[in-house]
Amino acid sequence: MVMGGTQLSLRDNLSLELRRGALVLAVLTELRHEEYGYSLKKLLADKGLEIDEGTLYPLLRRLEAQRLLKSDWRVEDGRPRRYYKVSAQGEKLARELAAEWQKLAGVIGALIK
Amino acid sequence: MELVDRYVHEVGQHLPSRLRADVEAELRSLLTESLEERARAAGRPVDAQLAADVVREFGVPRDVASRYAPDPQYLIGPRLYPAYRMAVKIMIPVLAGAVLVLMVIGQFQHQGEPPSMAPFIRATESFLSSVLFNLGVMTFIFALVERAMQRREAAGTAWDPSALPPVNDPDRVSYFGRIFALYVIAALALVFNFFPGWVSVVIFHNTDTQVFPLLEPGFGRYLPLLNAWWALAFALNLAVLRHGRWRRTTRWADFGLEVGWAVILLLIVVGPPVFRYDWLTKVIVQWFLVFAAIKACVMLYRLLVRRTFEPWHAAAAK
Repeated sequence: MVMGGTQLSLRDNLSLELRRGALVLAVLTELRHEEYGYSLKKLLADKGLEIDEGTLYPLLRRLEAQRLLKSDWRVEDGRPRRYYKVSAQGEKLARELAAEWQKLAGVIGALIK
Repeated sequence: MELVDRYVHEVGQHLPSRLRADVEAELRSLLTESLEERARAAGRPVDAQLAADVVREFGVPRDVASRYAPDPQYLIGPRLYPAYRMAVKIMIPVLAGAVLVLMVIGQFQHQGEPPSMAPFIRATESFLSSVLFNLGVMTFIFALVERAMQRREAAGTAWDPSALPPVNDPDRVSYFGRIFALYVIAALALVFNFFPGWVSVVIFHNTDTQVFPLLEPGFGRYLPLLNAWWALAFALNLAVLRHGRWRRTTRWADFGLEVGWAVILLLIVVGPPVFRYDWLTKVIVQWFLVFAAIKACVMLYRLLVRRTFEPWHAAAAK
């Protein structure tokens, strides 16, 4: 049981590591259209990418601090929401990362066939 | 909803104040929305159980806050912590030894008095206050170096593999040695400028504590000179830490400081009394002077005769 638990935890950690880099690309790509934190989370989940809220929301702030996203507060349905959108710099980076991703996916795909 | 407020507040408590209000507002909005969505999906009103589920999934407040905080939330990071621990491990026994010696001297001077715990209690008080002072100065210096190193790394200077030092590099800087030197300089400068009364021999015995200040008023005339020397030595150690290795310029500056130190000691030896026990302290100062003079000669020999201090890769390329 302990062995099984350890293996599960190791798999989770490695899987998290694998996804971490991809999250930035996913967020930058999805934020070509303006979204707020919760709507972005749902959007990504609907497309099959579940992201833990405690990871996604701080990531948005970090990307904003790095000037890859811009944001502004707006009140909608009586609720204040912070909307994020990719900046010009973020868009350029997203294109570069997407090309890198395609290349990597091709190589890894060929390797694991 | 009360649980959400408590949770948001708790996260905010672990954030820097400049971020707090903004992150709290966003977090409250996101958690509320998440909670309402979950209640809708479950077909029941928002309740404490649902709120608990949402915040539990979000994570432990301290962890969540650490993901939001842009700067490292520590004074001394893992890179410098081993050196800090070693410095504390050296400092505490040295202070304990000094207090113990003074306590033993006090007991010898007052033999025949009935045994009492009073000297032990006073010595312990003295030891604890010395530890607190030194720990404060040491922590400040290590934190200062940590912050400076973080800034240098953030600047992101390109790494040049050809600049890798050789295996046996005589110019490699001992981080521990330089930081410890910074701590000693800062502690001495603070004590001599702001707490000159601490430069005393303290005798703990049964009835009271006798304090014999060591400095005479004449010492004040050397203070500007000593302050200048401490400031230069502090700046040199910071520069050496910043470069990461000794250079020709810093070696020469180090030599200059050693000569300056010898001159200050010489002035004290030949000048009017500056210490209470003039004959004894001057003998000690003379020993320091001899040591400083020998060290300066060795440094000069190394600078002139031994080898070049050009960056080794540039020298190798010649």
